[in-house]
Amino acid sequence: MTDATTAAATAATTAALTAPGSWLWFARHEGRLAWRDLRYLMTGGGRWRGRNVIITFIVLGLGLHLIAFGVVGRHAKMTLEVGTPGFTSITGSFLLIFFLLLSQALEQVTRLFYGRGDLDLFRSSPASLRRIFAIRVLAIAVSTTMMALVIALPAINVLALFGGPHWFTGLGIAVAAAAITTGIALTMASVLFDTLGPKRTRFASQVASAIVGSAFIIGIQAVAILSIGTLSPSTLFGSDLVLARMPDADSALWIPARALLGSGPDLVITVLAAAIVLIVPMTLLSGRLGGYAIATASVHHGGNRRAWSTRLFRTTSSRQLLQRKEWVLLFRDPWLASQTLMQLLYLIPAALLLWRFYGDSRGALIVLAPVLTMAAGQLGGGLAWLAVSGEDAPDLIATAPVSPRRHLVAKVEAVLIAVLAIFAPFLIGIFSRSWSMALIVATGILVAAFSSTLIQIWFRSQARRRYFRRRQTSSRIATFAEAFSSVAWASAAATAANESWFWIAPAIVAMLVLVGAYNIRPRTAS
Amino acid sequence: MNMERTVSALRVTGLRKIFQRPAVDGLDLKVGQGEFYALLGPNGAGKTTTLRMVAGLMQPDAGTVSIFGIDALADPVAAKRITSWVSDEPMIYDKLSPTEYLAFVAGLWGMDPAVADKKSADLLEWLELKPHAHERCEDFSKGMRQKVALAGALVHEPKLIILDEPLTGLDARAARLVKDALLARVRQGCTVILTTHILEVAERMAERIGVISRGRLIAEGTLEELRKQSGSSNTSLEDVFLTLVAEQEPAQ
Repeated sequence: MTDATTAAATAATTAALTAPGSWLWFARHEGRLAWRDLRYLMTGGGRWRGRNVIITFIVLGLGLHLIAFGVVGRHAKMTLEVGTPGFTSITGSFLLIFFLLLSQALEQVTRLFYGRGDLDLFRSSPASLRRIFAIRVLAIAVSTTMMALVIALPAINVLALFGGPHWFTGLGIAVAAAAITTGIALTMASVLFDTLGPKRTRFASQVASAIVGSAFIIGIQAVAILSIGTLSPSTLFGSDLVLARMPDADSALWIPARALLGSGPDLVITVLAAAIVLIVPMTLLSGRLGGYAIATASVHHGGNRRAWSTRLFRTTSSRQLLQRKEWVLLFRDPWLASQTLMQLLYLIPAALLLWRFYGDSRGALIVLAPVLTMAAGQLGGGLAWLAVSGEDAPDLIATAPVSPRRHLVAKVEAVLIAVLAIFAPFLIGIFSRSWSMALIVATGILVAAFSSTLIQIWFRSQARRRYFRRRQTSSRIATFAEAFSSVAWASAAATAANESWFWIAPAIVAMLVLVGAYNIRPRTAS
Repeated sequence: MNMERTVSALRVTGLRKIFQRPAVDGLDLKVGQGEFYALLGPNGAGKTTTLRMVAGLMQPDAGTVSIFGIDALADPVAAKRITSWVSDEPMIYDKLSPTEYLAFVAGLWGMDPAVADKKSADLLEWLELKPHAHERCEDFSKGMRQKVALAGALVHEPKLIILDEPLTGLDARAARLVKDALLARVRQGCTVILTTHILEVAERMAERIGVISRGRLIAEGTLEELRKQSGSSNTSLEDVFLTLVAEQEPAQ
């Protein structure tokens, strides 16, 4: 074959591979969209400033490495000789991350069927739906890998720095974990769809995703609380209770752990298994995903439903009306309710702790004060975003003959009442043990929720409720302010619960966070 | 009728709003009670910004807005009590049914519950929404959503109805229903101000037409008066509009 013929053949192959409608062409399209999404995430929709992004990355990276050093630094000298106790600890930690990844992957896969976006365009085009869905599943695997690396890379770097380069096999484990979780998520979503149909799958998947993401950590904490009286998973992994039930060091169960500690053969087995778990369902199911998407487009949510009250038209104040509207809208939207309330799953260990130490001293209840305060801050922020920024009929509310101040007061009350109602069972439980502790916790809950609500008011930016998930990227300052204020109030609650006057210090920090947030709020917002 | 017209439903003076450039630039407008007024203009002329400021959705940088003698900037709540607003993108609550939505709106405007109940039932019947009165709005077409939004705008018996492109995306039957509803309100003494790109609507329905360009009112009057201003007779509103707007365009 002449050089010219070879060049022509290469050019033809390249053209075929990158031709419109080809795998690479779709991959390029998806890559471009993903890159723009990532830019949006990093800039919050603002202007792209390369230097700022690099500085942010460096600061974040350093912060993550410092945290990683604190968490895993002391394990850097671990080798394959650690045996069952070490393998148990590594596998337990790996599973914590694994289930988090699985939760994210399940949510992304479900979004494949329900996101309208460009699916109509693809469906109306002669392009292969099977191909586009296969590419999108791969894109999910890539994004899950990125998430796995964000979590694992700082730890791997720290371990490699202090323990040796064999820890870099952890990168392979991270990629394998992402592939496995994507494959499992695809299978789970498909099973849910075939079993429950298009109308219920989205909600079921949402709930499954939240449960999968939190079940392992909550389960481990629950076992730890009930068996050895601690919240710490690492203490549980090292306890006789667990180790007595674990297999020997040469068991197949420890393959990922051994791979992480530098065993080449175990790494190959893990990666191969991961590839099979991803490729098999992708090959078998990608042809059906287009059908799922078409089915979701035909879902009818309507039908006669029960009204929020049998007496719709009745004399009521605009305040009550607005509050009731907020609660009804939240109650009727299972997706939003699950998004907002699923974080309460993390209160289960707190509830267990309360139950476990119910008859014990006041000291055991102290741990509840920061946990509940922190959760209230986060929940209050989410509900406040829905009430303030996620108003679906802003023009109606703005043109109603009710002053903006009254609107806001009504919405703040709606949020605080909802938060209090959710935390009431905990408060009653604590009150029966110690009224002063209940007072501290109730104050912490209200103040943290109120602070988050204020931040959401100052940083409000009109958006559709369905973009609830994006609220944290639309204003990262608000997100950080909300988190810092919740943490500071939680510290204040913990210190006050310890009967120390030093609670004033974190309370002042929380106030400073609020003052800072108020001063840098967008001027158009309030 | 003429006596009524001596009362201004809306009086706007020196209205100004600047974004990157002046969106509304010293606009003066006067609409009489019981009048059907259409505000026309090319894209970006400042029609929606003007109406949003009148409806209290946006704060002007300068100028005054008076609705039936009420200073809408000084006492917005009093002005809103007698005004309603409908935008081109019907913003209603997906998770509420039309009846629940109307009950909510009636409550916001502080209506007597018995009156609101009766009024809502009539409106739902009239706008052919009765079969869907208890379905949630999430599956409604744009036309149905626009009808729900219009019912919300009419339920509290406003004296001034402001509509921004209310017929966009509606089918012929829905558009006719909306037009009939608005004309009926005008016959009852209500004032209607709307923007539209469908010039035929303005031509057939509006008693007076204002043409706005670059944030300023460049012509105003009945169709006949506009024809005279544009120097063309026996031409359609479309021709008149294009002539008037072209005169404002800078020389190429």
